[in-house]
Amino acid sequence: MINTDKLKRKLTNEKVTKKKENEHETFSEDIIDDIPLKEIDLNDDSETDDESEIDSSNDEHEDGSSDSTVYSDSEEFESDEEEEHEDSNNTTTKLDNTTSESSIVKKGTSEAQENTQKSSKENDDDEYASHDTSDEEDIRNTVGNVPMNWYDEYEHIGYDWEGKKIMKPNQGDQIDMFLKKMEDPNFWRTVKDSQTGQDVVLSDKDIELIKRIESHKIPDKDYDDYTPWVEWFTSEVMDMPLRKFPEHKRSFLPSKDEIKKVSKYVHAMKMGWMKSRRAMKLSEKRKMERGPQFYMLWHSDDAAEEMRRIHNHIPAPKRALPDHSESYNPPEEYLFNQQELKKWNREKKSIGNKKLHFVPQKYNSLREVPSYKRFIRERFLRCLDLYMCPRAIKMRLTIEPEDLLPKLPTPKDLQPFPTVVSITYIGHTDMVRSITIDPFGQYLASASDDSSVRFWEVSTGRCLKAFNINGIGKCITWCPNQAVSLVAVAVERRILLINPQLGDSLVITKTDDLLDTPPPEDKLTSERIKAAVQWEHVSPSNDDWNKGIRIVLHHFKEVKQVSWHGRGDYFATVMPDGENRSVLIHQLSRRRSQLPFSKPKGLVQAALFHPIKPLFFIATQRNIRIYDLVKQEMVKKLISNSKWISHMAIHPGGDNVLVGTYDRKVLWFDLDLSTKPYKSLALHNQAYVQWIYHPFVLELGQEGRLILQFH
Amino acid sequence: MTSNIQTIQLQIRFLTKQEQYAVPDIPFAVDSTITTDELNSLVNQLIKENSKEIYKKIEFDFLAGDHFIRTDLGQHIASRGLSSETVIDVEYVERLPAPEPQDCLLHDDWVSAVDVCNDWILSGCYDYTVHLWSKKGKHKLTIPGHTKAVKAVSWISENEDSATFVSVSHDQTALLWEWNMKDNVVECVHVCRGHARGIECVGVSTDKTKFATGAWDNMLKIWTTSMEENFGEDEDGETDSKRPKKEGKSQVRTPKMTLKGHREAVSGLCWLNSSELVTSSWDHTLRTWDISVGASVSQISGNKAFFDVNYSSLSGLLITGSADRHVRLYDPRSTEGGICKSTFTSHDAWVMCVRWSPTDERLFISGSHDAKLKLWDIRSPSVPLFDMVGHEDKILCCDWTFPDLIVSGGTDNTLRLYKTSDFKSLS
Repeated sequence: MINTDKLKRKLTNEKVTKKKENEHETFSEDIIDDIPLKEIDLNDDSETDDESEIDSSNDEHEDGSSDSTVYSDSEEFESDEEEEHEDSNNTTTKLDNTTSESSIVKKGTSEAQENTQKSSKENDDDEYASHDTSDEEDIRNTVGNVPMNWYDEYEHIGYDWEGKKIMKPNQGDQIDMFLKKMEDPNFWRTVKDSQTGQDVVLSDKDIELIKRIESHKIPDKDYDDYTPWVEWFTSEVMDMPLRKFPEHKRSFLPSKDEIKKVSKYVHAMKMGWMKSRRAMKLSEKRKMERGPQFYMLWHSDDAAEEMRRIHNHIPAPKRALPDHSESYNPPEEYLFNQQELKKWNREKKSIGNKKLHFVPQKYNSLREVPSYKRFIRERFLRCLDLYMCPRAIKMRLTIEPEDLLPKLPTPKDLQPFPTVVSITYIGHTDMVRSITIDPFGQYLASASDDSSVRFWEVSTGRCLKAFNINGIGKCITWCPNQAVSLVAVAVERRILLINPQLGDSLVITKTDDLLDTPPPEDKLTSERIKAAVQWEHVSPSNDDWNKGIRIVLHHFKEVKQVSWHGRGDYFATVMPDGENRSVLIHQLSRRRSQLPFSKPKGLVQAALFHPIKPLFFIATQRNIRIYDLVKQEMVKKLISNSKWISHMAIHPGGDNVLVGTYDRKVLWFDLDLSTKPYKSLALHNQAYVQWIYHPFVLELGQEGRLILQFH
Repeated sequence: MTSNIQTIQLQIRFLTKQEQYAVPDIPFAVDSTITTDELNSLVNQLIKENSKEIYKKIEFDFLAGDHFIRTDLGQHIASRGLSSETVIDVEYVERLPAPEPQDCLLHDDWVSAVDVCNDWILSGCYDYTVHLWSKKGKHKLTIPGHTKAVKAVSWISENEDSATFVSVSHDQTALLWEWNMKDNVVECVHVCRGHARGIECVGVSTDKTKFATGAWDNMLKIWTTSMEENFGEDEDGETDSKRPKKEGKSQVRTPKMTLKGHREAVSGLCWLNSSELVTSSWDHTLRTWDISVGASVSQISGNKAFFDVNYSSLSGLLITGSADRHVRLYDPRSTEGGICKSTFTSHDAWVMCVRWSPTDERLFISGSHDAKLKLWDIRSPSVPLFDMVGHEDKILCCDWTFPDLIVSGGTDNTLRLYKTSDFKSLS
């Protein structure tokens, strides 16, 4: 290549001189054009440059209409370069022709450029002089580029232009070779041209070239590896573009493609998919500061991860096993008779309650069984069942009947009844007839045959108070109202209302105040009542006042029993011998007495107020009558089936009545159930005297036994 | 043949926490009928062999399965549900010396309350008086003031020349007293009015700044113990204008706080700390109250009416005496509610008073209507360590504030003093 270049240059120099003479004519013509000047300048630069630079100069060389094309392939470029040179030469020659008359101005200034123009032209001219083109193959042999050993067996080695065979030159034998070797001093530089078969003697230059190639040097001796670098195209941005045409408008407009790209980036940044470098750096820094982060792969360190699919595997529901009816040869009882078949057909359309979805049929052998039509369908449905139906483990709560029973306390803790004497209240010298407990349960009062009433502290058995009441206390009852401190004692024909002066001092004084001031006698009491009962206030000067006795009610017959109403204002007294005046109801606040019954009801044994409802219980010898105090009528009659009722008590809830009889029985009536006794208990050996509902049922028997009963 | 069946050989190993009596850790094979006396002689023999010094025989008590052996070993193991095939660890501790009756202080009426502080015994009596005794048994003072039976007394503070205490009575008042020791004069500083019925119990808080009273009106009331004048006046929370003021120089005090919750009488109370207390009631419940909250915090239900409750700060447990003759041990910290940890059954009548030992977390005493004062170890639920006999009638109160003095009072008009040996070194 370099050789050829040199050769080219030589040739161009010759031609330039030739052209100069020709161009002297054109110098007189004026061509006022700046642009070619520039181009020529560039061209001038490109002349000594290598191919790529030439290429760029070529781009410049072209006029605006033709778009610049960049070539990467050198071979292609070579051919093209030549073409373009031709083009430019044509144009210039044209120019010369057309502007021959008018262009005069441009003279000496463009001499150099003219020179180069010429040189480029010369370049084109000595195309065939350079040996590196394909056209310059050795054309004496026309076989083309084929391996020459194909002709080894022939005596020719190819064909010349005329199509005649080129005969192989006479090779001579080994002796000839040896002789040649001995005689010919140029033998060592003689090589055989495979194309022609001729011997070629290499020149000194060739040998030098070969030697240089062998020693891995650049073949050209004159080539300087270290020529100073000439920066032909400056990297500096020029103020003005070196262009002959203005910048295209499109270069000033923002590119639509770029806008798209930028907007894409902006969106990505907004969405956080993309981060600016600063943000990235910041986050990186933060990450570094935070140090390495570790995550638990499992839920916790110690507990094994719960793998639902493995540990809580829910197996698919199993299909029912085939039974006899599905057999090809079912027993007779599985086959449908007419009636069953009818029924089956009737139920075929209804969903549910159908037992079989097919009719059992009998075949003689398995071979005769036809294909089952619903097979695919049923498989499909089964698959649907398996993957469409969500499965869950259903916890079934199995409750044993025993679990529903409440847990019973141990018998040791329970002790349904006291087994031993807890405490004895010592003081009475004769039989204790009746006892009563105050509404708080702190004190206990007792009346005895030794004509005394005693008050006790329940918890310690301390006798707090005792006084003589001049007669046998048949019955003693504490007023159930907690706001009043009163105890009623039935002593022979008298009822004593005693303020025991126990408990709240305020209540005690209040009770005294209440009883001190008798209400005005608003109504005249009837003679019948007056004859039956008289009220007497005990004056404070009296000795009885100091005992606590506040009011004495004198009855006309012996009083057996006294019972309080739940509110504590009314109390009833029973005189069994009083015939039609045997029951009296007294009102404390108005110091008034009433006779509720005009006719004798029999031998009245006991009277009782219902704790909540306005009911009044009267126990005669055999029966218990319940009266409504508001409606003034009998509600119910309880039949005891015993000979003689002695006593009666009611539960604070008002539902249960206990009745003691002289025939040694305790009858339990449930008012909600019936008028007959719910239960009959035989406990005492002798007649039964009294009992009290408190935390437990307390029974006082005549034989001197006290029975406590848990209820 | 039958005797062969009954007497099984048991493998036992002796352990002790008292290092001075340690024996080699060798299993022994003994008959199952072996009793504590035989075990005792065995251990004594072992100690004698091991020690070079002159050895004095010591009485030991033996535990197997956390309970004292009171029957023979075979029965004990069967009742505790231990296996007779493994080696049984028998722990032995030095036996407590029996408390000795020291003195008997005679009163004119039933002794219903007693409290001991360092040198002085305070007792309340059914003849409406409070008595002051020295620990030696010398009567110092009779203090009248109440108008009904005194039900409980408690020391508040004591210093060298003066002391303060509180007494409550069935006359619905609590009286705050100040005792000048030099002049031997007692002055009633405050009359605490507020209860509507007789007061049953009193307890001074651990920080001595307040005391609580429980009464038959089912209320629990908290009062301050400060002796300053006119304290009650500026308290507008509870005013009792209805109640006639008591004449005399003592100030009327109204309660700082009234806590309602029990459905029956409050029979006993005990402070857990400066703000929490536990009460026992006839309504079969124990309630824990928080003063700072002002309400009942928790409740333990029993089976019978409770007569007394006591709390041990050493073990954090409650013991109660109740109407079914049993002493029960409760844990106030347990969250499941009233779970009776163990029941101590030996009394024949209502257990009226229970007190923990001030020094040993396992010992307590109980006094009952059966005239017996019993010393218990919580490891021996069926048999008490000692029965202290002496009272001729019901025991109503007892006290064990001072470590080597047990005091009990009862309806035989006496206050009995029992001297206990130094339990502290044993425990």
